Amino acid sequence: MKIMIVDDEKPALDRLSSMLNNRDSYEVCGEALNGLEAIRCAEEEQPDIALLDIRMPGMDGLEAARHLSEMEEPPAIIFTTAYEEHALEAFETEAVAYLLKPIREEKLLTAIEKASRLNKAQLAQLNHGEKNTRTHICARVRGNLELIPLSDIYYFQADQKYVTVRHTNGEVLIEEPLKALEDEFENQFMRIHRNALVSREHMVGMNKTPEGRFQLVLRDADDLLEISRRHVAEVRRFLKGKS
Amino acid sequence: MSTITGNGNRLGNDAPGGNDGFLPDFCEGRNVILVIIGAEVLAFILSLAQDVTGGELWTRLLLISLFTQWVALGSVAILCYFRRKVNDEDTRRTIMLAYGIILTVTLVFSLASLWLIQTLYLQVSPDFAGNFVVRNLVICAIVTALVLRYFYVQHQWKTNTEAEAKARIQALQARIRPHFLFNSMNTIASLTRTNPNQAELAVEDLADLFRVSLAEKNLLTIKEELEVTKRYLNIEKHRLGNRLKVEWQIDEDIDKYIKLPALIMQPLVENALYHGIEPLTEGGTVTISLLNKPDAIEIRVANPLSIRSDQQQHKGNRMAQENIRQRLQLAYGDEGKLNIMTKDDLYVVSFKIPR
Repeated sequence: MKIMIVDDEKPALDRLSSMLNNRDSYEVCGEALNGLEAIRCAEEEQPDIALLDIRMPGMDGLEAARHLSEMEEPPAIIFTTAYEEHALEAFETEAVAYLLKPIREEKLLTAIEKASRLNKAQLAQLNHGEKNTRTHICARVRGNLELIPLSDIYYFQADQKYVTVRHTNGEVLIEEPLKALEDEFENQFMRIHRNALVSREHMVGMNKTPEGRFQLVLRDADDLLEISRRHVAEVRRFLKGKS
Repeated sequence: MSTITGNGNRLGNDAPGGNDGFLPDFCEGRNVILVIIGAEVLAFILSLAQDVTGGELWTRLLLISLFTQWVALGSVAILCYFRRKVNDEDTRRTIMLAYGIILTVTLVFSLASLWLIQTLYLQVSPDFAGNFVVRNLVICAIVTALVLRYFYVQHQWKTNTEAEAKARIQALQARIRPHFLFNSMNTIASLTRTNPNQAELAVEDLADLFRVSLAEKNLLTIKEELEVTKRYLNIEKHRLGNRLKVEWQIDEDIDKYIKLPALIMQPLVENALYHGIEPLTEGGTVTISLLNKPDAIEIRVANPLSIRSDQQQHKGNRMAQENIRQRLQLAYGDEGKLNIMTKDDLYVVSFKIPR
């Protein structure tokens, strides 16, 4: 069985690694120091199980778990933590597997035996828990996961079934509803139209076209987005507060 | 230094000179003066209560003052001399003894003044003499009862406030946080396999840290506090590896034997690591400065401002800061402030130890 270990603390990584390497049936296929590395590592190694530390710099374990679950063959996930975090209390009802550090060997082995992929209910917990705002958006491009940092995104635009994510290096399609994105990122993004959610950081001004329509001007991007009538006042207020 | 000793009293560290009972220390000048004033007020009331006016009133006041002051000072002298015997934890005994002493002093001085009047001026009738002594004793008994009662209530109030302050400080005393404890345990468990020597050092550091944290000591010297902070950083270094860099800026002429509330700097460093270093993939530098300022020593802890976690909004961070703020205020009054600022991309927390 291929196991990936993710922890930002080197001693902790080494310990788990040496515990598992003692067993013939398990192979540690990768070690990662944070969530982003974990996703890259998982793409390459396709582990069966991921041992994920919750508190990590860059991208934490909870968010990494959400992205990992988007993979075609997602690994089973076991969270590890040194202290019973508030975030875990919510999961208890959903029986998400987690181990408290320092982890006992027998508990680790039992957890690995029983490990399973996150089910829908558990994922829903991850998605809707308090403060579980992602730092990255995950898209599948030609079979691979691509992670786009939230700060690189100019806007989300809905089109029929898909949402276009326009970012610094181009654009990708994702399948999440715009409403869910709006709820999750209400502090960073603003709805300016039925079909568009724009990064507040990238909003710089608005134009009025000769036909009397309003358009949003973005920093660093040439795209002009239409502002619907019912959002004009809010956008204007926001831009005023910003300058 | 005066602040520390002054505040030592407030913290209830050093109880005033061997006073176990509720009576104040009558050897102390301030208390003697208070008694003199009290006796004079009594004399004034007694003279006003009599049906005399003009020059006669002043003569009465003079005579009565003379008598009350004798009694008061005599009692104070005896209470001062025997203070260890009289002032006992057993309140009833203290009351009886003090009451006995004061009444005896009154009796003696009443008889003495009778004798004086008789030798200097004129014969007095035995009726008057008896009346005089009894009146004095009754007045004295009533006044003494009131005064003792006052001292008792005052003392109760003082002990209560002291106990409250002490309890508050103990409650505020920074405890080792569970997060840190479990992380350290995990680090030690890991090191035991790979590097037993380091594991041993970590256990020693942790033990020292706990010793300070569990001791009910209110004050530490700057030297001791620095020591504790270094031990704490040693442990965290195992865990965070080269993500953690520490820079010390300590002015050379700082008196390291100045005392400060125990564990007041270490929690700030802990916060700096938790909010400033741990969220950074590449880590960063925590700068700890001890600066000599004209009127105080300034202690400053700076960490890189992390974009992700809004340090000022974080609940745990605010709680820790609030705790330190309160302890600084208890120790230094209005001068004890915790300053927080963001400068460039640094988050800086600082406070001053007044001299």
